[in-house]
Amino acid sequence: MRSLLVDIALTLVVLLIHTTIIPFVAIGDVVPDLPLLLVITIALLRGQIPGTFAGFGIGLAMDFLSGGDGVLGLSALTKTVAGFLAGYFYNENKTFQTLGGSQFLVIVLLAGAVHNVLYFVIFLQGSGFSWIWILLRYGLPALLYTAAAGLVPMFWIGRKYA
Amino acid sequence: MLKRIYDILFAFKEYVLLAILLTLSIGLIASNDRTQIRAIRSVTVGVLGGAQNAIGIVPNYFNLRSENRILREQNLTLSEEVNRLREARLENIRLRRLLGLRDTTSTRYIAARVIGKSLQLLRNTITISVGERDGIRPLMPVVTERGLAGKIVATSAGYSVAQVLFHRDMRVSGKVQRSRADGIVAWEGGSMLVLRNIAKTLDVQAGDLVITSEYSSLYPAGIRIGTVSLARQVPGSLFQVVELVPAVDFATLEEVFVIPVVPDSTRLALEASFQR
Repeated sequence: MRSLLVDIALTLVVLLIHTTIIPFVAIGDVVPDLPLLLVITIALLRGQIPGTFAGFGIGLAMDFLSGGDGVLGLSALTKTVAGFLAGYFYNENKTFQTLGGSQFLVIVLLAGAVHNVLYFVIFLQGSGFSWIWILLRYGLPALLYTAAAGLVPMFWIGRKYA
Repeated sequence: MLKRIYDILFAFKEYVLLAILLTLSIGLIASNDRTQIRAIRSVTVGVLGGAQNAIGIVPNYFNLRSENRILREQNLTLSEEVNRLREARLENIRLRRLLGLRDTTSTRYIAARVIGKSLQLLRNTITISVGERDGIRPLMPVVTERGLAGKIVATSAGYSVAQVLFHRDMRVSGKVQRSRADGIVAWEGGSMLVLRNIAKTLDVQAGDLVITSEYSSLYPAGIRIGTVSLARQVPGSLFQVVELVPAVDFATLEEVFVIPVVPDSTRLALEASFQR
């Protein structure tokens, strides 16, 4: 119960930062996907089922926070899949080693890549966009920026629990 | 039998959960335009706008000096232009009277501060400091002194979200000012806009100004959209490739104006019934 409350509080803080402060650190038009990092962290910390739930909840919150814009349910769908995938790497006995080691970045890149491909393939349906070009122009830089942002919790956890 | 089903479901509970949540997500995607969902979104616009407004009180002092210089230069240029336009307007009034035409230039603007920018990959939006209390409604055009910025897509009592031209779903009926060639302005990623459906035979050149067309049901005619940077013929295609540099610089957008006009519902209904 306590861990659930911690996760909810963390989610609210991350969503607030993501919608207010993160646009200031945009490189061009690319921003790190902090909610995705949180979903992956929860999946690695608590397991596949909580990770999948977290993905759905956080994705849904992001969908609503996009105002009247965007496709409601799309972030919920893609982040559910990302949480589910990241949950495969959950190891109860090595939680902090995974979160504080280079494995974390590999998981972020993997789950993030699937997340972005799924997102763009669905989002660009019916539009004139070339989704391969869009993936290279937006998906890849966003993924790399998200992974770079993942270095912060990775080093922090690595140092604290080494 | 039931126990067996339960055992199977329990053994694959992760996959069952995934399937349920994916189904829910797909259901939500399918019900995007429901009234209840729009109401919840309106609440989130209000909450998000409040948070962004609180963060936005911290001014960017580093830009103030250069911004002041740019504004002074702009002021000078605009003053000259206003004088020229005043002359032209007087002439226009005289000529309209001669021809018996009605005046169509009574546009009103509602000023707003940009309090948040959302860079969600291909869904770029801005949150502005005016809402339903100020008379803002969805689909109203958003402009700056340079030209068209976008349109309102969501409102709460005190805040609104506007979709900018750099958005996957943005389409604007545009016209090349010099040659009057009509097309559809859209964005396909990157820092340029494109003018679609321009036949090869039409006269479009780099440097041409593209403005909103009178065919648009959303935007008043004559608002600057951008300048043609490239017009290229493509072998085997009926249309040319036309790229535009947008008139508005979205990276430095701080103040906008909302034009309080909503599309004529009877016109939209007529067009929709005709297309059915």
